[in-house]
Amino acid sequence: MNSTALKWFGRSWMLVVYAFLFLPIFTLVAYSFNDSQLVTVWSHTSLRWYKALMQDSDLIAAVMLSLQIAFLSALVSVFFGLFSAFALNRYRRFTGRGLLSSLASTPLVMPDVIVGLSLLLMLVSVQQALGYPERGLFTILLGHALLGTAYATVVVRSRLTEMDSKLEEAAMDLGCRPWQVFSLVTLPLIMPALLSAFLLTFTLSFDDVVLSSFLSGPGYSTMPMVIFSRARLGLNPSINALATVTIVVVSIVVIATTLYSLRQERQRKRDMALAQRE
Amino acid sequence: MENTSTSALANEPLLRIEGVSKIYDGHIKAVDQITLNVASGEIFALLGGSGCGKSTLLRMLAGFETPSQGRIYLGGTDITDLAAYQRPINMMFQSYALFPHLSVSDNIAFGLRRDGMAKEAIAERVEAMLKLVQLSQYTKRKPHQLSGGQQQRVALARSIAKQPKLLLLDEPLGALDKKLRVSTQIELVNIIKEVGVTCVLVTHDQEEAMTMATRMAVMSAGSFLQVGSPKDIYQQPNSRQVADFIGSVNIFDGLVKQSPANSAQAQCIDVECADALLRVPSNQACHVDMAVGVAIRPEKMLLSHKKPSAKINHVGGVITEMTYFGAHTNYHVKLASGKVLQVQVQSHVDEDNADLSWGDQVYASWGDNAMVLLTQ
Amino acid sequence: MASLMQTLKNSIPSWLTGRRLVIGLPYAWFLILAFLPVLIVLKISLSEMQSTAVSGMVSWQGAWPSIKLDVSSYLFLASDELYLATYLSSISYAFYTTVICLGLGYPFAYFMARAPKQWQALLVMLIMLPFWTSFLLRIYAWKTLLVNNGLINNALLAIGWIDSPIEILNTPFSLLIGMVYSYLPFMILPLYANLSKLDARYLEAAADLGCHPFKTFWLITVPLSKAGIVAGCMLVFIPAVGEYVIPELLGGPNTLMIGRVLWDEFFSNNDWPMAGAVTIVMLLLIMLPLAIYNKLQSEGRA
Repeated sequence: MNSTALKWFGRSWMLVVYAFLFLPIFTLVAYSFNDSQLVTVWSHTSLRWYKALMQDSDLIAAVMLSLQIAFLSALVSVFFGLFSAFALNRYRRFTGRGLLSSLASTPLVMPDVIVGLSLLLMLVSVQQALGYPERGLFTILLGHALLGTAYATVVVRSRLTEMDSKLEEAAMDLGCRPWQVFSLVTLPLIMPALLSAFLLTFTLSFDDVVLSSFLSGPGYSTMPMVIFSRARLGLNPSINALATVTIVVVSIVVIATTLYSLRQERQRKRDMALAQRE
Repeated sequence: MENTSTSALANEPLLRIEGVSKIYDGHIKAVDQITLNVASGEIFALLGGSGCGKSTLLRMLAGFETPSQGRIYLGGTDITDLAAYQRPINMMFQSYALFPHLSVSDNIAFGLRRDGMAKEAIAERVEAMLKLVQLSQYTKRKPHQLSGGQQQRVALARSIAKQPKLLLLDEPLGALDKKLRVSTQIELVNIIKEVGVTCVLVTHDQEEAMTMATRMAVMSAGSFLQVGSPKDIYQQPNSRQVADFIGSVNIFDGLVKQSPANSAQAQCIDVECADALLRVPSNQACHVDMAVGVAIRPEKMLLSHKKPSAKINHVGGVITEMTYFGAHTNYHVKLASGKVLQVQVQSHVDEDNADLSWGDQVYASWGDNAMVLLTQ
Repeated sequence: MASLMQTLKNSIPSWLTGRRLVIGLPYAWFLILAFLPVLIVLKISLSEMQSTAVSGMVSWQGAWPSIKLDVSSYLFLASDELYLATYLSSISYAFYTTVICLGLGYPFAYFMARAPKQWQALLVMLIMLPFWTSFLLRIYAWKTLLVNNGLINNALLAIGWIDSPIEILNTPFSLLIGMVYSYLPFMILPLYANLSKLDARYLEAAADLGCHPFKTFWLITVPLSKAGIVAGCMLVFIPAVGEYVIPELLGGPNTLMIGRVLWDEFFSNNDWPMAGAVTIVMLLLIMLPLAIYNKLQSEGRA
């Protein structure tokens, strides 16, 4: 195979995989505008399912709950993720560092059912002993934040590793107390990582169904829980409409942030080249 | 040291390092029993290869590392246990460590703001600093919008803005390319002298140390090999290691034959080597049959086709290698013993050398003062 | 001097508590939420179910605590062939998923890493984009695609490859499609991260020394990307073993996956000790690859 053939083989391979990845998404969007009750038969274009979605108070309540939990969970995750990334990255030697490191990375790969079940059993034991916490928003939040903290730790940690530790020493040398070093130098420099950790953990929480199912109590159904229970029963076109809305929102956010950071990077390179020429 | 009398205080050096060691993991001695005084106004260079402990010593002065043993005094005050942010010492970092999210003027003002200085005073000082390093038109720029040389000057301005008692420079020119380095060296020294700040700098580049420092220490394995002015260290190295480290050198190994007492002027020591008998002016204590080395710098040798008339202080050999550098030419001369001698000949000095070429039988000779006796 | 010492005294404890806080806070967080639960599951799996509550493991006989370990859940687990079959089938589904993901993902990541530099950020974003959209909704979409009168069957009918709709949904095949679909980005991203760091000069050096491109690929590229391959496989295999949502939505009632058994033991049968025992055995099953993964991770960092 010569190099041109290889190039075309590569391109078609990538195209096929991308098609595989995006096919379901396009299907969701397309069928959300289908008037037919049967999700598999195309009749004609309409916004019927969007209207149905707006009147679906159960689903809307679930979306609101999910947004609420996702926001709180992202906040808590970034907070603890920042601490654990800092501990693992800045303190090279302390007893039990290895344990913390593996505890922080375990939820990344552990199947959701294990995390969910074990957390639930613990919370039930605590509740039997203390009478608290009642299962609901708080317990779901704990589960999501545990998962989120693990992801946030990875994101923040890689940024901290990239960061030149001499910058922190320079700050200290110029008279900063440790907390000033953190607030004046470290924090501004890792802010982009904190933002992307926030987005990531928000999405994780907004998307989760297994942990929520284990940890929620009566009256607390998140959006994925509602979708899941409906999807188990069969196909439901208003889910397509909901999917389209979330896809549009998410795509705008993701594409905008990617383009923004690409632009920043390009501007930065141009500046650097310009400075060298002077 | 609390009972220091006032008269002693007057003689107190600005920086006093007393028996400082840094031991890692209980047995790795990064810095081993260093004692050093640096007087006010000096530019002192710590020179050594990587891992010699020079950076660790500097970091202990800055307050990023705590000595395992020993004390450090600044202006008579024990600063050993002070944190970095409490010391009136500032550092210019290797590759500068300029804050990427702050502008040039905010970088320079950073340390001043920590001192709670008045806003107007800060602005004034920043402006003065920018003027000093000739960057007044770049105040608003971010570090990545500056060239390497400009970044270096911002770093310098930032580190002297607080008017520290002691300025530390960590490989100050290491991040610049070679061409820029030479001009920057002079510029840097001029600014430091203008400000009048005492300086300790760390470098692995002997040229940098020699051109910038008023005094220097050659470090190896956590200890000082030799401390002195650049000229002393170059002319009178006290050991093979120092002679080898600073510039290139030819070392003849030999045995002390006898010390002809009462020679004409100074005391001389005869050293018998494989290729020649050397009479070295030295007043070091030597005994007969002691193994010593005699160091001679390549540029202090003369090459000639003619055999010198004297019986001592010259060797004969064959030119095996010849490299033309423009201003000078380097020759490799293979001696009878197999030893290869390096000789550097200035191009304009000796027109006779024009006809020296590969395979020629030549003689290298030198003046009495070119030789340094090395007993260790 | 006195004021200096005072500042010193004020500053050193703040350092120490700062450090203790920074380490202690995440430590407590993970110990309570990730470590303690596993211990509790272990305890419950060794308890006995009494009507609706789990019996206490420690009872007091006079002054002496008596610890009763009930291993009946484990004995039942070991004796019942259904559990064994389920574990084996979970592992084989996870294995096939991993192999297919590697087969699809490796060439993809390879070509992505060799695409023009200015395109790579966009290509990565396109891989991440589905990941940002709800996983559940995407699996749901596959259900729409794979049903008897769905898009795929209709397309196959239209081009005449089949005469009547074939049964795809609720078969092992549809389960595998869903699994591969969901986990493919987790294979591609570590592989890409690894391959994009591969120095092109190695390949040039190999070519210069007379190595044919295909041989170069096997002798240079693949061995150098071993860390990426291992990371990708772990990130796919481990969570795939315990997958619940995909088999539930796409696998139909007959695909055996341990995640579903666990769910049913807990939610339908209310048998907590049994659910605990299933969890503990599953944990042990994935602990080994996880340990290898963690070891490789820490080696990679060092």
